[in-house]
Amino acid sequence: MSTRLFLTLACLTLLAGCGNSGVWGWYVIDPTTPTGMSNIRFLLNGFGATIVLSLTAAALSMTLGLMVALPGMSTNRWIRMPSRIYIEFIRAIPLLPMLFWVFYGLPVVLQSMGITLRIDAFWGAVITLAISDSAFTAEIYRSGIQSIARGQTEAAKTIGLTYSQTMRYVILPQAIRRILPPLANQFIYIVKMSAFASVIGMQELTRRANELVVTEYRPLEIYTLLILEYLVLVLIISFFVRWLERKMGADESR
Amino acid sequence: MPEPTAQRATNAIEIKGLNKWFGPFQALKDVDLTVAHGERIVVCGPSGSGKSTLIRCVNSLEAHDSGTITVDGTRMGNAASIEAIRAEVGMVFQQFNLFPHLTILENLTLGPMKARGLSRAEAEARAMKYLERVRIPEQADKKSGALSGGQQQRVAIARSLCMEPRIMLFDEPTSALDPEMIAEVLDVIVDLATSGMTMIVVTHEMGFARRAADRMVFMDHGAIVETGTPQEFFEAPKTERCRTFLNQILRH
Repeated sequence: MSTRLFLTLACLTLLAGCGNSGVWGWYVIDPTTPTGMSNIRFLLNGFGATIVLSLTAAALSMTLGLMVALPGMSTNRWIRMPSRIYIEFIRAIPLLPMLFWVFYGLPVVLQSMGITLRIDAFWGAVITLAISDSAFTAEIYRSGIQSIARGQTEAAKTIGLTYSQTMRYVILPQAIRRILPPLANQFIYIVKMSAFASVIGMQELTRRANELVVTEYRPLEIYTLLILEYLVLVLIISFFVRWLERKMGADESR
Repeated sequence: MPEPTAQRATNAIEIKGLNKWFGPFQALKDVDLTVAHGERIVVCGPSGSGKSTLIRCVNSLEAHDSGTITVDGTRMGNAASIEAIRAEVGMVFQQFNLFPHLTILENLTLGPMKARGLSRAEAEARAMKYLERVRIPEQADKKSGALSGGQQQRVAIARSLCMEPRIMLFDEPTSALDPEMIAEVLDVIVDLATSGMTMIVVTHEMGFARRAADRMVFMDHGAIVETGTPQEFFEAPKTERCRTFLNQILRH
């Protein structure tokens, strides 16, 4: 009910711009004019960077998250503790300050240790997103793995499997189907948070929209298109994940 | 009866002065138990008496707090000794604990291939041999979810046998089964018992105990209260606690 009301209002708001009320000025991204077309091209060209940035950060975050999650489930508290501290600490840092710290601060720290490394906007954003997100993926892995009954690990022990064999052949294949939906959620979150990369100058979707707004003075239309760009990205991801879940679910009930 | 060989230890399992706490709760109190090669022991007692904890200590699924466990001459201590002991000891659980994402055949070949380094062909041949032994070779390509409880437990027994253990531990193997499936599982265990396998069975199935056990062990409050042959145990229990227990479970 409220969804329909919201959609109606949203459509009315957009349609309002089609009249001559003067509130909306769609000419700025009108594909029938050369300027509009080149503006659209400029904006859409950010897709590549946003996608590559999100995918790289997500892949790193998922790997890092697993590396943090596994020792976090040890029965030995000295193995468990660093993992817990990492999660609590990283989870507490807001993304934007962390991005500034990595981009402006980390090279200075490295310099003082005798390492000269220039971190460009892309890698600054990748590192920040991956580390920040890994605290959350680690918790997703942990809850997924711990949801697999203890009897599975015990049975694996009695047939002589090592810890890593047990994880690889028994636990993770079962946990993955429970981990996948929240992990997909986290990926969507990364795609959206990648917008922060714009503030350190990375030419992704949001940065391009900002730059166009400065020259065209039509924030309403340009940011509306920007939001739609993210919406399309996220819907594609959702669709893909649904498909993946169905595929795995079908395989399970064989 | 087992064939005693020179290099084999005198006893299959020697447990001395075993103590185990779960926090402030003492689950095992100074437990001593010696199991000879080929001997079939049935452990019974009220719930919470430490039966399961005892056999879970034998293959180190639970760590004990004091006392010694020696399995086939190997004294339990460091990780290597635990690995060596687990290679000798198979275990069957109340809840079967089959791997639901694998087929029955894959459940059986996983251990031999990954832990023992057998080729797929060797492991599959061995798996089929033991599936025949528990009388369900036709289920090899199904997943465990498609099987009845009794069939799942027989697969679990076959999975343990694929590791070719010298000792088998059964932790209430029929307690999670519907009544009509208990017999098919017990038949397989009896069959195993008559083949000379050393085994400790925790169970409330007293008919099975009479048929298959060499010795009964009665536990209460974490201690072994009474042991004896099935005949002594059922006809003339020595302690009051044991009599009460038998009265309760044999009444119906």
